Amino acid sequence: MSPNLLLPEESATRVMRRRLLAITGTLLLVGTYLTLVITQPMGIVEGLGRGVALATFAAYLAAAVLLLLAVLPDLPVSTLTLIPVALALNIILGQFVGSVMVPLYLDSIGTVLVGFLAGRRAGAATGVLSTLIWSLFAPTVLPFAAGAALVGFLAGTAARFGALRRPYFAPVAGLVAGVLVGVVSSPVAAFVYGGTSGVGTGAVVAAFRSMGDSLLSAVTKQALISDPGDKAIVFLIAALLVYALPKRLSGSFEFIRRHRVLGQRGPK
Amino acid sequence: MSRSISLHPFTVLSLAVATVTITTAAGSWLLGCAVITACLVLAGWVGRLQRLVVMAVAILLPTFASLLLIHGLVATDASALIAAAGPFRVTTGGLETAMTLGLRTAVLVVVGLLCTLLIDTHQLVAAIDLSPAPPQVGYLLAASLFLLPQMAEKQRAIGQAQTLRKAGTGRGLTGWLKRVRLRAVPLVLASLQDAHDRSVHLAARGFPAAGAHTRLRAVQDSLIQRRIRWVALFCAVMGPLVILAPLWGSK
Repeated sequence: MSPNLLLPEESATRVMRRRLLAITGTLLLVGTYLTLVITQPMGIVEGLGRGVALATFAAYLAAAVLLLLAVLPDLPVSTLTLIPVALALNIILGQFVGSVMVPLYLDSIGTVLVGFLAGRRAGAATGVLSTLIWSLFAPTVLPFAAGAALVGFLAGTAARFGALRRPYFAPVAGLVAGVLVGVVSSPVAAFVYGGTSGVGTGAVVAAFRSMGDSLLSAVTKQALISDPGDKAIVFLIAALLVYALPKRLSGSFEFIRRHRVLGQRGPK
Repeated sequence: MSRSISLHPFTVLSLAVATVTITTAAGSWLLGCAVITACLVLAGWVGRLQRLVVMAVAILLPTFASLLLIHGLVATDASALIAAAGPFRVTTGGLETAMTLGLRTAVLVVVGLLCTLLIDTHQLVAAIDLSPAPPQVGYLLAASLFLLPQMAEKQRAIGQAQTLRKAGTGRGLTGWLKRVRLRAVPLVLASLQDAHDRSVHLAARGFPAAGAHTRLRAVQDSLIQRRIRWVALFCAVMGPLVILAPLWGSK
């Protein structure tokens, strides 16, 4: 029989290697974040600032790639085929919202949807891959891959602990996720790009700077204003989309069945 | 006239990484402008200048505006004051910071977009498949890039169908929400159903394939290109260290 038709052997070495990759990625992310927040490097354009920008960019990107490599081989085929759909939904629904001048991003609906349907590992992988592929058209998003992974991870975690059992739990979970994502992503915006890339968000950062805040503090406050609201709406929309799925389809995801993600709405 | 560059996709990417890291570490206006000019010349030579300029301007215009707001309009440094009114303070140092940060981002954007325009997607997918990266990566990249136009077309068709049956034509926030729902729900349902069907077929074919397998598409590579890649990656790591090391002692 062809080896491709057999289930892959799950050796202890492979499991250990994946865990090691995941731990290294998480430590790199947390370590970089804490170093930046504690040391608060000054002079973002001078010599050392340029080094900090490069180091932050590289560390956040490397952490995201390590997490992706740790998670990817574990994902079942049904989840792998879902990820490209989620990436396309992120872009298409994000563009549709952008085209009607609504002041929201809503560019992570697909990532959250995968987190809800297939769990936090799949959500995190979707977040990283979505950013990597989107960077082919907008290279500035590359260091935000770790933040995108966190969105998917938190969506899966929220679904596992019952955020989809009542429609009003989902936006609350999104609000909490938005705070965490905003806090983790703001050092990238501050130290790599020296601010934000949007005029509206830039104006908010400028307002905080004029009140005497440091750049990191101003960018973090702006992120804490923008992200929780955006993620609350994204989580709510993704939850409503999951409710709209036929039970036959939502029940085909093991994560939904095993953790009774949809409660009484879900498959029996 | 359109020309093509027959380099291995990883060679283009590693050269781009080296260029961006060294230019960022050097922090020189002259070098930054030279890199951007070289990219524009190269894009012009391959016949993709207009596309590069349009894509780069779409990203860089809001970025420059934002940086001017943050650093130019409310400067906190002690350099020469140009204008001041209430909380607003425009200084030469603030404007210089905004422009330096903008140029740093511009190098990343222009070099990155040029890579996208130079690299053939099919070649990139084939190169990833032939590399030691997990086989899932190549599939996900290929599926995403080829699914995107298909889903955009599906979304347009759903929108036209809803318009023909005069559904979701209301105005205001309620109308917009209804329009989003009428377009998003069928799109998501149909796409998830397609993904589910595809997973059954892929699983039946033993995806992801283990071991070496033959590919119809060959990716042009050579010993020289492999050496160039290693040198570029070495420069990407060591270049910034060599440039920035003398500054560590001075601060």
